Amino acid sequence: MAYNRTYNRSENDNKDRENRGRFKRTYHRRKVCKFCADSSLSIDYKDIKIIRYFTTERGKITPSRISGNCAKHQRMLAVAINRARNIALLPFTTSIVK
Amino acid sequence: MRYYETLYIINPDLPEDGYREVVTKFTSLVEKYKGVVTKVDEWGIKTLAYEVKKFNRGSYVLLQYCGEPGITAELKREMSLDDRLLKYQTIKLKDNADPEALKAEVDDGKVEVEGVAEAAEETSAENEGENGI
Repeated sequence: MAYNRTYNRSENDNKDRENRGRFKRTYHRRKVCKFCADSSLSIDYKDIKIIRYFTTERGKITPSRISGNCAKHQRMLAVAINRARNIALLPFTTSIVK
Repeated sequence: MRYYETLYIINPDLPEDGYREVVTKFTSLVEKYKGVVTKVDEWGIKTLAYEVKKFNRGSYVLLQYCGEPGITAELKREMSLDDRLLKYQTIKLKDNADPEALKAEVDDGKVEVEGVAEAAEETSAENEGENGI
């Protein structure tokens, strides 16, 4: 544990050295799974308002690296989206904007 | 007994009594196959996300019921034969369900699905694990 901590620190130092001279250091905001953070939020295929948030404009499922969902909730979400698609609550795809 | 949920879409052009007939047909069908209906929720006419049988709108009805495993097959067969329906989908909510307890829950306005409840419990552990670096 202690070893890891020192190792990480030195790694960060290296990064700082690399970035010196550039205008800004890249900033990463930690993404937290929305469903983990808020336990009252449940994944249900009938609740389109919540599910639609995790789809793109074209109706694709947003990847977890963008939405920040944990693997477990991403799987559950994917099942819910597919169910919603099957019963015409969500589109499979949208080609022409009506 | 298992706890199921069927969401089906009825032709929006049906007259009021024709619509009522379809809804009562399927709720009574569940009872005919020794199922217990816990909830019938009529969502009304909604726009479909894509065209189904040349329709862009449809009236959604949600039917929740308990029954033995064979009940879904019968319901599915009847629904596929009925041309007043545009689409239907059945989902299993619970494996070992007690119809009386579920009825009471529905009356309270709260039905919890097993999978969702499990997920909520594990969240705190997962968050701690990710806090490295």
